[in-house]
Amino acid sequence: MWKHYLKTAWRSLKVNRFYSALNIAGLAIGLATGIMLLLWVQNEFSYDKFNKQYRNIYQLSAHFTSNGKEIVWGNVPGPLSVIAKNIPGIQSMVRIAYAGDVLATQDETKTFDNNAIVYADSSLLTIFDFELIKGNKKNFLPNPYSVALSQTIAKKIFGTDDVIGKIVRFDKDNFTITSVFKSIPKNSSIAMNVILPMAYRGKKFTENGGNGNWKTIDEDMGDYSFYDYVLLYPNANPKVVSKQLSDAYFNARKGEGNNVQKTDFKFENLADVHLIGNDGDISGLRMVEIMMLVSILILIIASINYVNLSTARSLMRLKEVSVKKIIGASKWQLFFQFILETFVLFAIASVISIGLIFVLMPLYNNISGKELSFSLLDIHTLGMLFIVVLGALLSSSIYPALLLSSFQPLAIMRGTKIAGFKTATFRKVLVVLQFAISFALLVSTIIMSNQMRYMRNKDLGYNKSYVFSVSFPDEASQHFDAIKTELQKTHSILSTGTSDAYDISNVGSSTSDINWQGKSANDNLIIAQVTMDKDFISTMKYRFIEGGNFSGTPADSNKFVLNETAVKAMDLKPPYVGQQISFHADTGNIIGVLKDFNFRPLTEAISPIIFFTAWGRGNMLYVRTTGAEAQNAIAAVEKEYKKYNTSKTPFSYNFLDKSFEAHYQSQQRTSALFTTFAAIAIFISCLGLFGLATYTAQVKTKEIGIRKVLGASVGNIVQLISKDFLKLVIIAVVIATPLAYWAMHKWLQGFAYKTSIGIFTFIIAAVIVMLIAFATIGFKAFKAARANPVKSLKTE
Amino acid sequence: MIKITNLEKIYRTDLVETVALNKMSFDVRKGEFVAIMGPSGCGKSTLLNILGLLDDCNGGSFLFDGIEVAKFNEQKRADLRKKNIGFVFQSFNLIDELTTYENVELPLIYNNVKAADRKVLVEEALDKMQIMHRRNHYPQQLSGGQQQRVAVARAVVNNPKLILADEPTGNLDSHNGNEVMDMLTTLNGQGTTIIMVTHSEHDAQYAHRIIRMLDGEKVTENILRELDYVHN
Repeated sequence: MWKHYLKTAWRSLKVNRFYSALNIAGLAIGLATGIMLLLWVQNEFSYDKFNKQYRNIYQLSAHFTSNGKEIVWGNVPGPLSVIAKNIPGIQSMVRIAYAGDVLATQDETKTFDNNAIVYADSSLLTIFDFELIKGNKKNFLPNPYSVALSQTIAKKIFGTDDVIGKIVRFDKDNFTITSVFKSIPKNSSIAMNVILPMAYRGKKFTENGGNGNWKTIDEDMGDYSFYDYVLLYPNANPKVVSKQLSDAYFNARKGEGNNVQKTDFKFENLADVHLIGNDGDISGLRMVEIMMLVSILILIIASINYVNLSTARSLMRLKEVSVKKIIGASKWQLFFQFILETFVLFAIASVISIGLIFVLMPLYNNISGKELSFSLLDIHTLGMLFIVVLGALLSSSIYPALLLSSFQPLAIMRGTKIAGFKTATFRKVLVVLQFAISFALLVSTIIMSNQMRYMRNKDLGYNKSYVFSVSFPDEASQHFDAIKTELQKTHSILSTGTSDAYDISNVGSSTSDINWQGKSANDNLIIAQVTMDKDFISTMKYRFIEGGNFSGTPADSNKFVLNETAVKAMDLKPPYVGQQISFHADTGNIIGVLKDFNFRPLTEAISPIIFFTAWGRGNMLYVRTTGAEAQNAIAAVEKEYKKYNTSKTPFSYNFLDKSFEAHYQSQQRTSALFTTFAAIAIFISCLGLFGLATYTAQVKTKEIGIRKVLGASVGNIVQLISKDFLKLVIIAVVIATPLAYWAMHKWLQGFAYKTSIGIFTFIIAAVIVMLIAFATIGFKAFKAARANPVKSLKTE
Repeated sequence: MIKITNLEKIYRTDLVETVALNKMSFDVRKGEFVAIMGPSGCGKSTLLNILGLLDDCNGGSFLFDGIEVAKFNEQKRADLRKKNIGFVFQSFNLIDELTTYENVELPLIYNNVKAADRKVLVEEALDKMQIMHRRNHYPQQLSGGQQQRVAVARAVVNNPKLILADEPTGNLDSHNGNEVMDMLTTLNGQGTTIIMVTHSEHDAQYAHRIIRMLDGEKVTENILRELDYVHN
């Protein structure tokens, strides 16, 4: 029986080559796309789960209120881990802090930058499952001058991972390699390739005199620069433990006076860290869910093609079904025959889709910015493949098989077209669904790229073009005056300014240590802070709305420049210049107010910022040049850099517009992914439409012949065939418009500065979809219309 | 073997009600060869469909081997049909994607006959219809006469009690037509009951009895020759 079914299925595929090819192509592309998207989704959900204890590991964040708004910091103070030792639910805790990126060989002849060098407590490996290749897990950093390297960086520096006992240099100190760990998986939210002992950082802190009365990092309550992770006992309630820890920390700070604001240290489970921000921002998770939805939609579109083509062509199989029923086939026997037929087709499509995935994977990784792999030996991948293929198989096979196997045997005796009419409406609904999905994806694509363009072109309140920044080592930055004087002589450089802001398009440093007259007791204003020299503001081309710039003299030390948002948030009344404020240890006056400009990514609204000079002028040099002279300017700066650099830190520079773009990399990737998938969705939909148009042209051969004999023009015939399909596409557009609008409106809410969704976007998308649909149908319609009517009349 | 009494079939649409069979009654004995004749639209095909358990009736009684089947549901009709009835059509209705052998084998597959037994039965049927040499050909590679022989082989391979033939020579030239009629006569001689709808007076002469119809009613019944042997 099965042999017979398989034979019939295979022959039926062979006989209907055209439709089989259309179906297989649509399904193979749909399956490949769906699976690739799901690989991405699977990867996103897999973050940090390689840690066996991930269910009991939590990341800490600090929550407090400022001006009635909740402020969340991802880093917490050092003493927290000491306090945690007395909390019963906490099994272990680790502090991780960023150390730098440059590592050198012992003789400093070679330096390696772009590393993720961190300080970590020795408890790291009791919490996380980072695999040690060499060294002792319990004591992997035995003293303050030991270091653990990843296998990759070890090989990069020494050409081998057999490096125990060898020495590397960091920050003017030698470190002996005591452990080598396997490079941390890509799906880890913690990235590091060099681990230094936290004890080293503590030692340095104490040697440098500490911070006021706080002499060790275990005491310094003010330094929020640690990423803390706790491992709780399985039965511990994270909410209870988090409250206990926050209370204990609050009690420990009571000695500082009554002004201490309560900070809540909240726990976020490690499994959520990658997709949910510690401020509860779920946009990452949303995006993964959207991608999952898109993959399902694409699979639906591909399945619809199959359902539509097979039900449309069911008339052609009327005779076969009738004869088989008359000679004894039961409905279920025929049902399984058709299911098996679909199965054979799916098997071929699956094999092709697997091939497609292998071929397209590098390209896909390039677009998505991931390093996904597709292996048929991986149990998870196999499971997903199975579920996807089975899901699509079931959704495409059952209805056509039921329909075909339900034909009454009498149909053949009557020779009538009793079937087909009932299914036409169903097919129309499916075509509408396909095009509604395609249209919505297209609209989303257009709006996303509009938003990207909007952000690129938005007036940020300053000119970010042709400005690059160079980070100078501390000893070199002592010579900034000489360097700047030298650079000003170069005609390729328009101006230079210095600052401590590593990236002025994403200022990270902020404080609440600011006071002014009339500040209310519960006002806890958080203000971004930047120290700089007097040329920085003019180099960046920030605009004053009141007052003016620093003078470059020692008198600047108690002068401040604020932005518009800051003076408004402080509730100051104009004129602002001359009003007194206290900032950190200094009391002085406002000398200028800047027109608002964006110093954080456009996902955030402009917040208060203060410029001051009391802490020096920073070690970042910002250089404004011109498009034509940029290379010369870089060369000139590099020359100065090398003149004063003694630390062997390699020279590197960042153009401001590049770092600006980098903040939107994930949005740009999403946009690129959407564009790709919208194109695929439309393509698959059109394959189906092409099949349906071909079929319509076939069944209307006689009608077309008669009409032509009666005088219809080619145009009339093309219209006859296209009209109905285009009507469906229009209905799809009408249905999808509000849905797409709603979805994109939601997406744009993630940006403080956003493009508007105009009616024009929908019109363009509608025209594109209509044109593509018309081109697809029109080709077949035109061919049918040009056929010789005598010939077509003979075919009936 | 078959006894129908006051059989009625009415086709209804929104506007028209057409009486296809109007209180039709007759019976067919086991081993008999009956020809049904009449002008187009007189209800012959409707009658054949009901006798073949492909369609139901609106009234009257239909006894098949003594069992009342007029009220049988689709499933029961299908079961009875596949075990007892073979069909031969004017347009052969072979399945284009299957070879001669596979077409003939099909009813056995649907009746869950074992592969080894199928082979014996199919070869026997092909032999009987003298089409063995074309066993691996597809329908489109056969002449009309050959196709109809395959169709007859398919109709008899299951050894049915009744063969219903709907103008079996309608698409054939006289030579091939006569061959097919000879085969049906031979089968009838071997005990198979045959009911044949035809327009051809010539073909009708092969039967024991001719029933003539007009407007859904039986008008005359001519006995051409007596049934030699009544099967029990």
